Amino acid sequence: MQAFKNIMANFKHYSFLMRQLISRDFKVKYKRSVLGILWSLLYPVLMMAVMAIVFSKMFRFQVEGVNYLVYLMTGLVMFNYFSEASNSAMTSVVSNFSLMTKVYIPKYIFPVAKCLFVGINFVLSLIPLLVIILFTGNPAEGTRCVINGWYLLLPYVFICMFLFTIGLGLFLSCISVFFRDMFYIYGIILMIWNYLTPVFYDVSILSDKIRFLMKFNPLYVFITSAREIILYNRCPSTELLLGCLFFALGMLLIGAVVFKKNQDKFIYYA
Amino acid sequence: MIDIKKVGMKFDLGIEKNFSFKQLFVDTLTPGKKKKKKEYFWALEDITFHINKGEVIGLIGSNGAGKSTLLKVVSGVMKPTKGKVETHGVIAPMIELGAGFDSELTARENIYLNGAILGYQKDFLDQKFDEIVEFSELRDFLDVPVRNFSSGMVAKLAFSIATVVEPEILIVDEILSVGDIKFQEKSRNKMMEMIKGGTTVLYVSHSLDSIKELCNRVVWLDHGHIRMMGDTKKVCNAYYQEQMGVPMKQKGNI
Repeated sequence: MQAFKNIMANFKHYSFLMRQLISRDFKVKYKRSVLGILWSLLYPVLMMAVMAIVFSKMFRFQVEGVNYLVYLMTGLVMFNYFSEASNSAMTSVVSNFSLMTKVYIPKYIFPVAKCLFVGINFVLSLIPLLVIILFTGNPAEGTRCVINGWYLLLPYVFICMFLFTIGLGLFLSCISVFFRDMFYIYGIILMIWNYLTPVFYDVSILSDKIRFLMKFNPLYVFITSAREIILYNRCPSTELLLGCLFFALGMLLIGAVVFKKNQDKFIYYA
Repeated sequence: MIDIKKVGMKFDLGIEKNFSFKQLFVDTLTPGKKKKKKEYFWALEDITFHINKGEVIGLIGSNGAGKSTLLKVVSGVMKPTKGKVETHGVIAPMIELGAGFDSELTARENIYLNGAILGYQKDFLDQKFDEIVEFSELRDFLDVPVRNFSSGMVAKLAFSIATVVEPEILIVDEILSVGDIKFQEKSRNKMMEMIKGGTTVLYVSHSLDSIKELCNRVVWLDHGHIRMMGDTKKVCNAYYQEQMGVPMKQKGNI
């Protein structure tokens, strides 16, 4: 309990720095663009438009009995958050080395700030997602989604995904200090992970064996939980909900322990 | 106060070479040669001393003696391999200024960003904002991105942010005087004021004159060990004699 209190006190003490780092990322990202911060909203909209055309018009992907557009976008928005946040968290420690050798800053700040920064963009991209949920699909065919009470569980699913991503970000940023090849390897891993996660296809097209293994893919668990709520208007199974928590806390614990054990050695590799 | 107990700091010289395929390749092609023993280098070894509240301690020694490493260990940037350092109070490390300046951001934004990096809180910065701006003489350029600043202007801004605190422990690597003549004088005075203002100071300098002027005690570091410690004049003279081969002349004889 005392340890937890200390962690919270530390968080509070450095929350101003965290906010400054996040707002720096925002300012720098949009500083010289004409539309500025508007891109945070526009970018996901345009990206969704492109994906919608590619997958539902060109490839004519479909998932039985549901609004495919919503199916695709839910997966896409969530997976994109995960891949962008974990990737930028991974590079955050190495790219802030020049700071760490000058002043004392708790090093976990950098990956966590990155995950939060991308998280803000994720929350913004929920707005166009909501528009798609409300206005697409055919009510006559029963493919129009409805906002239901289970939406209250969505924050839980998203927070679990955030925590999982932070954990993985801590882990990767630590490994990549000692093993810079990780930057490239993880890019490939992400690509494989993307195809192994049913973002644009349905698990029913997979063989039973792979479908069984899918349960061990944290992203599948998060995305499926969200889809149960949004597409099928029902509460995700206990298995899914517990799976979310399990992956979130497990990864966070692994990441935090590995990071804490090694952070004092970072400075030698700067 | 600062308490330094049996501090040792080990660096691994071969760190760059570890863990690469090139090395693996070379090793397999030359089976006779076994991998060289890891080379270690102790930048600091068995350093123990205590600094009382309000004392000004000078650190002298030739390049590579471990002065900067010791400052980094005390300021918490590095964790010692052995021993430990205890500090009580807010530390202001004036080792390198302008940490984390972002050239895309304006001076105003950088004051908050750099301030946060130095560990200041928001209300403190709000309160001291005008003082920082006033001291830096950059009021007209507050909303200009730092990338358009001259190096002198950046230094002035960085200095003003770093010195706005009233720290309990001040860690100084050479007296900084930056900017144009007028600002150099002003920044020098400001640092002198901070050092003499009753804070605990750990001060590194190659200028024995300023060491003699400011310090209560001096620690002479040599190859990571404490060579001599104590009375300012005695240690400075001994250091000068060893380095130059002749006794130190009295001030004003040059």
